[in-house]
This record gives sequence, C-alpha cells and structure tokens, in this order.
Amino acid sequence: MDTAISRPGRGDDKSAATIAKRAHYSPPWADLSIIGIAGSSGSGKSTLSHAIARADPTSADLLQDSYYKPLGPEASKKAFMNEYDFDSPDAIDFDALLETLQDLKAGKRAEVPVYSFERHQRMEETTTIYSPHVLILEGIFALYDPRVMDLMDMRYVVPQRNHAAMVTQYIERKLLEKSTHHRAALKSLEAGFESEPLSERVVVLKDTPQLRGMNTLIQDIDTSSEDFIFYFDRFTCLLIEQALNNVHYKEQTVETSAGIPYRGLAPKGEVSAVLVLRGGAAFEAGLRRVIPDCRTGRLLIQNNVRTGEPELHYLKLPKDISKHESVLLLDSQMSSGGSGLMAVQVLVDHGVPQDRIVFATYSAGRVGLHRLTKVFPDIAVVVGNMVSDIEARWIESRYFRC
Amino acid sequence: MASAPAKRPHVGPTQCVGPDYRSESQKPIATVSTEVKYETVTTLPQTPQLIALLTKIRDKNTERADFIFYSNRIIRLLVEEGLNHLPVVEQTVTTPVGRNYAGLMFQGKICGVSIMRAGEAMEQGLRDCCRSVRIGKILIQRDEETAQPKLFYDKLPEDIADRWVLLLDPMFATGGSAIMAVEVLKNRGVPEERILFLNLIASPEGIGNFATKFPKLRVVTAFVDQGLDSKNYIVPGLGDFGDRFYTM
Repeated sequence: MDTAISRPGRGDDKSAATIAKRAHYSPPWADLSIIGIAGSSGSGKSTLSHAIARADPTSADLLQDSYYKPLGPEASKKAFMNEYDFDSPDAIDFDALLETLQDLKAGKRAEVPVYSFERHQRMEETTTIYSPHVLILEGIFALYDPRVMDLMDMRYVVPQRNHAAMVTQYIERKLLEKSTHHRAALKSLEAGFESEPLSERVVVLKDTPQLRGMNTLIQDIDTSSEDFIFYFDRFTCLLIEQALNNVHYKEQTVETSAGIPYRGLAPKGEVSAVLVLRGGAAFEAGLRRVIPDCRTGRLLIQNNVRTGEPELHYLKLPKDISKHESVLLLDSQMSSGGSGLMAVQVLVDHGVPQDRIVFATYSAGRVGLHRLTKVFPDIAVVVGNMVSDIEARWIESRYFRC
Repeated sequence: MASAPAKRPHVGPTQCVGPDYRSESQKPIATVSTEVKYETVTTLPQTPQLIALLTKIRDKNTERADFIFYSNRIIRLLVEEGLNHLPVVEQTVTTPVGRNYAGLMFQGKICGVSIMRAGEAMEQGLRDCCRSVRIGKILIQRDEETAQPKLFYDKLPEDIADRWVLLLDPMFATGGSAIMAVEVLKNRGVPEERILFLNLIASPEGIGNFATKFPKLRVVTAFVDQGLDSKNYIVPGLGDFGDRFYTM
C-alpha cells in the first residue's frame, strides 16, 4: 500500500490512520488500478471507457481538466483575453492530482476540485470520488508527470480498438487477484481466536421465552408473510431499543408536574442510522417506531457475481454524519462479516469515530463477529440471534417477498 | 420494607447507567428504580435508554405528542416483558435455509383489561405486540362520600376465566383501584396467578400492598418510585397520566 500524504484540514486524516494501523484489513477498493489515457478527443477514448465500465461497475473517471491551477490576477486577466495557454503542462496542478491519486490508492475518499472556465478559477465545492476499483485518468497531459505515471497500471496514448479487450481482461484478472487476497486476509483475521470469547462490546439479546417465541414464528418457513413481517418488525423494534443503550447519554434533571425534581438522562445528541441495503431496509419499520424522524443514510453492497466479493455500489449519507452523536448501522444478517467490515469502513472513512458506531443485526455467526470486532474494536454490536458461521441471506427476500 | 406508610424521604437510589463495557466514569449517573424484594415483581432493566424515556415523560415541559410517543415506547417494552411470563411449549421449526430452530410456542389465550381511563392509554402498546387481542375495561372511581374506590362499570370478555389477563394501569400509587380491579377479575373466575399487572411507575407502598394481598399475581413495572406524598401521589411521579395523555 502506498503511503498517503495527508492534506491538512480535509477531515479524513483519521481514516488514513485507521487503515495504516490495521494493515490486515484494507477495503477492496484500496490499491485501485489506474489507467491513463492521453488521447485527444475522437481518439477512441470512449470505447475504452465503456469497456472499462462494463468490466468494473465501480470504476470512476478522473479528468485532468479538473486540475487546472487556480489563476492569479495576472494570469486571470490573460485567460479572459484568451491569451493564457491552457494547453501547456504548466497550467496543470500535478501536485494536487498526485495527491488525489495517492489518496485513492490508499483506499481513502478523495475530493476532486471543480474548475470553472467561466470564472477561470477553482470553485469552492468539490466532487467526491470514493471506493472505485478502477480509475480512468483522462487528459492530454495524463501521461506527462512521471510521478503520476508511476502510479498507473496501464497507459494509452492513442487507444486502438483491440486495447479495449486487453484492458477488460486485465481488469477482470486484477479483480480476481484482489478477491483472492481479500479472502485470504479475511481468513487470516479469524485465525487463532475461534475459542476466544466474543468481545465485551458484542451484546446478544437475552434469549427469553418471549423472544424465542417471536423467533420461532420469524424462522418457521411455514409462517405466513403477513405474520413474518409483523413479528420481524416487532423484533427489530426491540433490537433498536437495545442498540440505543450503547449510544451516549448525559445527565439531566427535570421537574415533574408536581414540581419535584427527577435526576434522569437525555440523549447527548442526534442518533442517525445507516441501512446496509437491501437487508438493512427491513429494519426501517422498527427504526421508525423508535425514532420516527431518524435521519437515515443508505449504502448498497452487492457481491460481485464473478468473484463473490462484496462491492460498494451506492452510497448516500447525511452530510454532517461525522458530527452525529451516534450512528446505528443496520443489516438484517451477518455471516462472513465481509459486508459488515466494508460498511463500518465506509462510516469511518466519512469521519464517524468507531466508538459512535452501533452495528445491529438480526443474526450473526461467531467468525463474522470476531472479524468485525478485531478490526474495529471500539464499535458496539447488538445481535438478535447467534447462528452458524455461514448462512445465506434469507431475511430480506422473506421480508420484501422477492 | 414496602408496607411502611407514606412519607419516605424523596430520594431514590442513584447509580451509573450504561453498558457493562464502559467504565463507571464513562457512564452518567441517574436515579434508578427503588429495589423491591418480591419474587412476583419484575422491574424492567434500568438501561440508559429506559431512564431517558422516563425522564422525557416525567418532565412537565414535555408536550402531549411527545408524552404519548415516549410513553408508548415504554409500554411496548412492558408488554414484551410481560409476555415472558406466559406459558410456552417447545416447538422445533424448519427455517427457510433448511436449518432447524428449537423454538417455543405460546400456549393459552390472553386478553387485556384496562383500568379506565389511564389504562386505556396502554391499549395501543398492547395492540402493537398482540394485534387482535380482546380488551376488556373496568371503570373505578373514588366515591366522593367514603373516599374509597368504587366500581362503576365493567365489560369483560365472556370467557375471561379461561384466559391470561394483562391488567393495564400506568400509575400504581396506593393500589386501591388496582386491588378492586383484581377482585373483579377474581370474581369472574380468573385465578390470581393468571393475572399480569403491567404498569409504568409504581410506589413501593402499592407494590407492598399488592404482594401481601395477592401473593401469586405478577407485576411488571418500568420503575418503582421513591414513595407517596401526603396526598398519596407518587413521588416524584409524572403528574396525572390520563390528563397528560388525553386532555392536557
């Protein structure tokens, strides 16, 4: 893994630290493949880009044009008179470009500058690139700076038709390779602690007769869909009540209507939720019963059909999530822990400290729980049921009935 | 300890509340339920989230909509805990992934009985857990002349004698009306051991009176308060539950 240079004041320095500290888990999007294409327009770039997008749906494009240097007053005047040379490598901020590439290589989130040709300056807002497995860098000077070139897996000056097939093959091979590594890394996470007790931060709901009664109805294949949904909602509601015991509270004395003080507690701040789709969406009804207006982020993790690896396909989080007092991360089931690890990593990369994350799931196995808590020892985990280590995801299809 | 008459000091036990893995210094301190030593009385675990919910409904500045929402959340927890005391039989089922689950099935029929009017506020929470449950009602009012509780009205399921009864009343002060309600149920043939009294805030006096009078009846409460004042109101309590839920 490349060492990342952290840019001050970016807010995601923390994630760099967590990844460096835990060399044994790096998300599958770390060490991404970078493909440089230097051709000018009409040189067959789009054929290549399309082929890449087909081979890796998570791939992202990075345009060299985003990295035009902010212009000083002198240069700006020239630019407005069309006398500034935008076709010179001097106009490109290669340092910033390099930094973006290094951040992405390290598995971090990168903010890409937005350059306005109307105003000839860099805008305040940025666009975010996060978690692609393949990045395409395009621009006439894409292959100019040797430091940038060093980071590339493949480079094309003027792509030919047959290059698409080569690139596709390369990406497919690389994804398989990464998947093998990733699996081996996951496997090594479980080594040596099969017999260890679960982390004290893992809370399993008490197996009371009433909970067992609900579980019987939820797990019985002969239960009607109507009953399944009813009991599952009831169960998730209890699970979320339990999860809330792990968020932070502050002391608060209130006065009752009789004017007598009561020394109680109040939530310290906002509790939001993030659903790991699709399974986590089955928690939404239960969640709304407990926090009706809970702000809710969503992320979609899907297993790649070829490699079986979890991949992050969609991500929408509340903007200020790093400032929330606690974030409940909800998924219906956890077996190998692959998507759980990925989901927590995503939150950490977006600035949520581990000890503010409460992961809640209907069922989990020991191996998955060990992996998750070894990598993220400060998160809290709330589990409805302990099950065997590998179990297919059946709850979401039962809940959504397809 | 419980049957001592009124006027105990207005201080309840305090402790750090929070998950076990946090150290004492990381946990905030709050007043928790007064301990009562009867086997038939179950107090909900004093978790930070339960204490926060109770704080919300005790606070006189909490508006009615919030009062209703937060009390419903506690009531659901009470009902879920109450259901733990119903009889079950073992039943193994096959799951959608073909694994066996050694489960349990509830046995016996249940019904709810609310003591009007505050008890009716607990019906929604009961229905959230038991969809089509039968619900009877009992109206008991204080007789102006004798200052004793008097039965004004009751409407109960015909076959109540064959059912487990979840008796609902949120505030349990001296227990006067609850005792009368239990008498009504017993007269209809419901054995004491098949009655579960669900209640939000109790006084040690009420709990004591009940336990002496009905040693087999189970009480599930969220919180046992410090005591009663000279007017027999629960201290610190939350005011008139029915008023805050229905009319304030």
